[in-house]
Amino acid sequence: MMRTRILILVTGLFIVALGLPADPSAQVSAPGGWMAPDWGAPEIPAAKRKPAPRRNLTGMWAPTGRFGAGTQAGGVQSKPNNRRPENELPYTPYGLELYKSHKALEGADAVLPAQGNDPRNLCDPLGMPRMNHYNLGLSQIFQDEHKVVVLYQYDFRWRVIWTDGRQLPKVVDGGVQIGDEFREQRFLGYSVGRWVDDSTLEVQTVGTMPEDRVWLDSTGRPISEQVRVTERFRRVDNDTMEWSETIEDPKVYTKPWETMKFTMRLHDPRTDIMEYYCSPVEQQRYNSVFANPVSGNK
Amino acid sequence: MKSWSVIVFGAAVGLLLPSSLSAHHGGAAFDSGKTVVLKGTVVEWIYSNPHCLLRLDVTGEDGKVSQWVAEGQAPNVIFPAGYRRDSFKKGDQVSVSVEPVKNGQQAGRILESVLADGKKLGRASSAGSDAAIIRREN
Repeated sequence: MMRTRILILVTGLFIVALGLPADPSAQVSAPGGWMAPDWGAPEIPAAKRKPAPRRNLTGMWAPTGRFGAGTQAGGVQSKPNNRRPENELPYTPYGLELYKSHKALEGADAVLPAQGNDPRNLCDPLGMPRMNHYNLGLSQIFQDEHKVVVLYQYDFRWRVIWTDGRQLPKVVDGGVQIGDEFREQRFLGYSVGRWVDDSTLEVQTVGTMPEDRVWLDSTGRPISEQVRVTERFRRVDNDTMEWSETIEDPKVYTKPWETMKFTMRLHDPRTDIMEYYCSPVEQQRYNSVFANPVSGNK
Repeated sequence: MKSWSVIVFGAAVGLLLPSSLSAHHGGAAFDSGKTVVLKGTVVEWIYSNPHCLLRLDVTGEDGKVSQWVAEGQAPNVIFPAGYRRDSFKKGDQVSVSVEPVKNGQQAGRILESVLADGKKLGRASSAGSDAAIIRREN
């Protein structure tokens, strides 16, 4: 009799437990209140999704899916560098020549760690649009009535997208033209955004660095200062945002193409983001302890 | 001095290492599919970018000590898997499975670690269990 009661009780508790929604906060490590990123939060059921706030991208975002989904080590998300026909890029002859001159540590033509010529290995800024293609992790967005600011995790870089109606600069030889003035090329370029509807910000970026300073991705695909980057940030609901990107670079590619389309998930704004700098001192030590020895003959 | 063992498997776990999880370089330098289990004494744990590095003194059956270097991913990548700055301390006796490099140097990348207190940590290149990663990759 007693055994039957215990069995009923245990079964009942099990059924109740199955029906309880998982509490994401319960899975997050937060010693002393220092909350670590929560990579295991369950998907929010459709019925519990809140609508997107109007014209507001503010929040801490990260790609959905497995941890590291935004890494893109094998090439930009939409076109990994893996020799598959569907991922071949529309290179111009000059673009292909550039690609062949790049010695990348990732992708189909990867070389050994000490043989690469990726500007990243010197801790040079990645520039736009590679900031979007390199270990895209927790990304914070803040905004006011004039601008949207994206804070990237890698190298703790930040980027301003102006939303106050200013004009996109015109790309000219060696820089950009703004009104009567000539201005310099920038690693992150000049970004201007406009709301195409209440949940979608379309952003254009031009005026970036030339092809001898920056790459498109970690597999050595090239990009030039002629590039026009078009991004769309579409807040699908309160906790979900799509971040897509298309590039147009007639110097390197014969036609525009999509590089990425991530679904981002809103994370707890109290999450503490670990520092992630490219330090020349640390890079040098890494080269001497590991990269150089493993790249040569014994 | 603790004895050491080096075991080479044609292990499937090595073949299943997803290069897409690598944050800094790919697998060109590594002998994909092999695993070497190192048991030895920690000399130094360098918890920094672009990769964490573990120097380990491994004593052979002939009594000779040789030093290995095992590479993990950047701190922010391996943090969720439990690797911390104090996970390895100088003098700790630990066991570390690595995928060795191709050129014969005593170096590799960390697949799994058993710390001095017996705590087991997974691949130092991503979070989650190997099985979960493999499942998602497939």
